Amino acid sequence: MFEKLRNKIRGFESDVEEKTKKKASLGEKAKKFVKERKVILEEEDLEKPLSELKLGLVESDVDYDVAEKIIEEVKEELVGKEIKWRKDVGEIVEKALKDALLKIFDFQFNFDSYIQSKEKPINILFVGTNGVGKTTTIAKVSKYLMENNYSTVLACGDTFRAGATKQISEHGESLDTKVIKHEKGGDPAAVIYDAVEFAEANNKDVVLGDTAGRMHTDINLMDQIKKIKRVTNPDLVIFVDEAVAGSDAVERAKEFHKAVNIDAVVLTKIDADVSGGSAISITYEVQKPIIFVGTGQTYSDLKKFDSEWFVNQLFKE
Amino acid sequence: MVLDKLGNSLKKSIRKIAGSGRIDEEAVDELTRDIQRSLLKSDVDVKLVKNLTDQIKERALEKKPKGANPREHVVKIVYEELVKIVGEGGAPPIESQDILLLGLQGSGKTTTASKLANYFKNKGMKVGLICGDTYRPGAYEQLKTLSQKVAIPFYGEEEADDVVSVIKNGLETLNDQEIRIIDTAGRHSLEEELIKEMKEIEKTVSPENKYLVIDASIGKGVKEQAKSFEKAVGIDGVIITKIDGTAKGGGALTAVSETNTKIAFLGTGEKPEEFEEFDPEGFISRLLGMGDLEKLIQRAEERLEEDEMDMEAMMKGDLTLKDVYKQLESINKLGPLNKVMNMLPMGGAQLPDDAMDVTKEKMEKYKIIMDSMTSEELENPNIIGDSRIQRIVKGSGTNREDVKELLEYHKMMKKLMKQMRGRRGPMEKMMKKFKR
Repeated sequence: MFEKLRNKIRGFESDVEEKTKKKASLGEKAKKFVKERKVILEEEDLEKPLSELKLGLVESDVDYDVAEKIIEEVKEELVGKEIKWRKDVGEIVEKALKDALLKIFDFQFNFDSYIQSKEKPINILFVGTNGVGKTTTIAKVSKYLMENNYSTVLACGDTFRAGATKQISEHGESLDTKVIKHEKGGDPAAVIYDAVEFAEANNKDVVLGDTAGRMHTDINLMDQIKKIKRVTNPDLVIFVDEAVAGSDAVERAKEFHKAVNIDAVVLTKIDADVSGGSAISITYEVQKPIIFVGTGQTYSDLKKFDSEWFVNQLFKE
Repeated sequence: MVLDKLGNSLKKSIRKIAGSGRIDEEAVDELTRDIQRSLLKSDVDVKLVKNLTDQIKERALEKKPKGANPREHVVKIVYEELVKIVGEGGAPPIESQDILLLGLQGSGKTTTASKLANYFKNKGMKVGLICGDTYRPGAYEQLKTLSQKVAIPFYGEEEADDVVSVIKNGLETLNDQEIRIIDTAGRHSLEEELIKEMKEIEKTVSPENKYLVIDASIGKGVKEQAKSFEKAVGIDGVIITKIDGTAKGGGALTAVSETNTKIAFLGTGEKPEEFEEFDPEGFISRLLGMGDLEKLIQRAEERLEEDEMDMEAMMKGDLTLKDVYKQLESINKLGPLNKVMNMLPMGGAQLPDDAMDVTKEKMEKYKIIMDSMTSEELENPNIIGDSRIQRIVKGSGTNREDVKELLEYHKMMKKLMKQMRGRRGPMEKMMKKFKR
């Protein structure tokens, strides 16, 4: 069962290529410029095709406001630009848009070197709304770290959801790593705090703190996550969201960032036939790097986020 | 709240038209552009948006019927066209049936299963829950705990692999239940094995209703997902979850429109009772700022004993702290204040967000503070000065800020009730219902 599933997900990249071929891609939309060849690009010439491009971004699940801002940047880049005879305008526009998108993903942060250089134990807190895949992501990150010879401790800071403790305990068993848990309804901050103490006493490298999913509009639970952060003082706060999310991804990223200051993002369920525009929206909004994407249901379905690959996918014909 | 952003911007554009007094092409153009923008922002499919606004534009520019003012005319068209998109309400009849819950990972199937069971139980049906998720660690535990919480018989096998046989056993064990709800593992369209498994489950159960559970925040990808679920097993309806966040639910609209299904229920929070039948008219009414009275009445009827809710006190302009006390008690039963308020015909009156977010704990605190007040103070809060506050703080074991906050809250409620009192008609109808 899982063997086949894994194979399926391995074939995902080529699947995506094929899928995007069928959809009217951004690339195609950009190519439409060719018909309207001009020597100097003027604002009014650009207006209609750029609004088409904006729709293209929106169709790919980029938040409308974010798409508008990106297109505005592209426009500024292009207006007044002199185009050489016979040079393909479509290519120029495509490149401008690609550059604008790549610029969004341009960060210095490198997870591996961070883990390597930081004093141990490193305390990582995972936050996000309900059902985005925090617990599964923690299991995958644990696997990733263990494969790179770091020891981990999982902290079950979700003391609310029925079955949450069971879920992370089973992961701990399968991965053969320690899980720190308390009674249901207990104090999440205390669980993570204990996990850090355990890691210190037992020379563990990384503490991965799970938290209950919470709506960013729930003032009480957002206060609680602030408290968790205050008490446990994590080295990294990772915001987990799903690639299937639409424009609301921006809203919640913003609220979580405001509450606990996100350091990095993990985007899950990217294998679920998505256009993935939420990656652009979230990054644009909080200005923090996406470090991993979740690509399936097994522990090894975690990939480093590659912005060039991602942007190229958007332009695939 | 539900489609709140969409609602506000629609309200704005419609107000613009109302101000212009007559319908010309320019005004309608502007309106449709605004509607387009807000629908796109709400994750509604681009093609769907275009069709909708074309329709609105065409119909708005047709000769308007005599007697109708421009606002009514355009609101009616927008309303009707939006109803066309969301479809009729699709809540199932209250009768014996098996229900299968399907959906993407993390969409909220398990929580929904227990809510749905609780819904039928409250309607007087005998309900059982079956855990058909043998993949996700903790899935069994989760549904088991939730079913205990709502006191519903549960069947599941903790260490099983073969989900079809688990479900078979579950159906047999729960044979004496009138309604059996089967929770399944999350899956998406590209997971061929899981889609195949879903087909087998469907064949085994041959359920009367198969619901696709969709997260309100889902983006454009929902189109493909809904299509492939529909193709694999045939979907009978959609349940939208987590609309208590800021998600606008446009993706769910796309799904029902694309697959020709209906929205059956809305999940509005994490608690078992935070679950509503979907009613398109109420939904759109709320969207357009017309209030959703039916829902509030329905909820009040289900939860409140007679005479418990003193609507007269709520509506009185000279609201005292005693009234606030009563109010807090009754609202506690109706659900969070912001949700109640969203259903009232406020006619787009803006409420301060944080003021509406009175949580249960805060309500408790308010009540404790009020318990430390004298009868005179409760009747006439204006007399509460610094020294009285000091005494109340001591008596209630709270602090000055809390007491001041309560007084602020009282002021706000008083103002709010005054605003509402001005609106006749539907309010009276509601009051009558409450008093019955």
